[in-house]
Amino acid sequence: MSLIVAEDLAKSYGRVVAVDSLNLKLDEGSVTGLMGPNGAGKTTTIKMILGLLKPDKGWVKVFGQDPWDNTAIRSMIGVVYEKAFFPSHQKTLDYLQRVCRIFGVSESRAMEVLELVNLQEASDRDIRALSAGMLQKFAIAHALVHSPKLIVADEMTANLDPQARSELLDVVLKLHRDEKVAFLLSSHILPELSRVCDSVAIINRGKVWAFGKLSELYEKYAVGIIRVTTDNPYALEAEIRKLNYVKELESDIRGISVRVAEGKEDKLYEDIPKLAKKIKAKILGIETGSASMQELYRLAISAKERK
Amino acid sequence: MGKGKPFLEVLSSAIHEDYRFPFLEVFAFLYGLGTFVFASFGVTITATGATNQVTATANEVVAYGAVSSILSLPLSIFIILVFKNIAYGLGSDLEKGIIQTYFSYPLRRRGILTAKLLSALGVALLLFLGIQISGLYILAPDIILPQLGTVLLTYAASLSYPLLIAGIMLLLTLKLRRGGISLVVGLVLYFAMSIVSGIATIFAIVTETPLSLQIISAISPSIVLTQYYGGTLGNFWAPAFSEVLLYTGVSYVIVAFVFVLGYTYFSRRLNL
Repeated sequence: MSLIVAEDLAKSYGRVVAVDSLNLKLDEGSVTGLMGPNGAGKTTTIKMILGLLKPDKGWVKVFGQDPWDNTAIRSMIGVVYEKAFFPSHQKTLDYLQRVCRIFGVSESRAMEVLELVNLQEASDRDIRALSAGMLQKFAIAHALVHSPKLIVADEMTANLDPQARSELLDVVLKLHRDEKVAFLLSSHILPELSRVCDSVAIINRGKVWAFGKLSELYEKYAVGIIRVTTDNPYALEAEIRKLNYVKELESDIRGISVRVAEGKEDKLYEDIPKLAKKIKAKILGIETGSASMQELYRLAISAKERK
Repeated sequence: MGKGKPFLEVLSSAIHEDYRFPFLEVFAFLYGLGTFVFASFGVTITATGATNQVTATANEVVAYGAVSSILSLPLSIFIILVFKNIAYGLGSDLEKGIIQTYFSYPLRRRGILTAKLLSALGVALLLFLGIQISGLYILAPDIILPQLGTVLLTYAASLSYPLLIAGIMLLLTLKLRRGGISLVVGLVLYFAMSIVSGIATIFAIVTETPLSLQIISAISPSIVLTQYYGGTLGNFWAPAFSEVLLYTGVSYVIVAFVFVLGYTYFSRRLNL
């Protein structure tokens, strides 16, 4: 069953087109990432899914229903925004107990969700006294109170330190594994999406440029990628760039990812040691088809642009 | 799950934020102070040779004068409280995203707005009228009981213009999704009325026709009420009681229209 279906969705702010003919489908029990740069249209898409914005064109159905002012849907969705805001002069546990009453669940659930996000020690603190990271954890606890079937999170880890980010992703994995909760996570921090998502939608300029299971996307876009690990990636990159069969390459501090023309993989394997010898670089490893999420994103975008 | 519980919880949360310490205490004190310190139970109407035109009875005039005397300062305090709750409270809830958080609860948009308005306006009104009528009952039970109609009409006529401004502020706050500008507009409109009614009075005296005052009475019926209970323009405008009721009714229709607009916008058009 599809939890979210969006078709031909469009939204503009004046002359700025935020979302343009966007199609999306999220299946039950999946963890789907909305991946894209800032301004790609992720937040606008999420707001239309949550019924906060009306689309100019197209439609979106959540659990088969229009999400605009729909209370039935709200009982099945948990929401985490990039910047979480709550009535600030109330204590964390008190407010979550209030939310329990709103959703008609036992008040003991409030402490359970605080424990789930490791925030039990802040249970008697005012919400306004929480740090940015704690507030984000609190937002996740708030989204979990009514045990939703789907959690929609917009850049939920954006304000967190790496430790807190990692802990939150563990919570996502745990909820997905143990309680079969589906997630729609938007983020521009790609490594974290690769850690938790089983499928991704790559959004750029308001459109979905690629969508599918991660394995399928790797197969489609990351074929012909060779990863070279070296002690001098930038010098080696300059040499590799001179090879006429190299189509794309990108280097970072540890190595270079090279995409070559079809059937030229073996040729690259032959040429790299020669080039390394010429510039006295040390080759630490050569591996085929191991693109990172970032590379997958870039490849998918450039493949679409070539079309 | 019943629909009442989410509504009551959002209302309770809104009241908690709008009237957190020391707002409730300070405003209740000021209401009490204004009610008891400024009370005057003599006939304060000074007619200029036209009292024969006044159709109200002497007891009604006394009751009107008493209510007017205890109303003046607390009404200003009520307006400040309502302006704070709408511009600062609802405005910052929209600006910061707390309304977005409320929109994740199983409660219709109109229910959320009703809860916010009951807190911002309803509780402020309850506090205002509660202290005022209790004060009046304590100070002059012989006025309030026989002249309850006059007392209530005076409050109704005095409150409709502040409520209209509150409605306009609500519309502006929803449209702009912040409260700063709507607060300024609210204050300007509030103070503008005394200037406009002054100009209208001069115009009425010069032209010897009450048209300008009648127009303003449609949004601020306290003007026609003052005239009914012994205003100074009796030689050319002596409104009947039915006229007072008509203007008061029309003013509340206008207030209701503005709030319906606010509800419609919030429920159907507000994009967050």
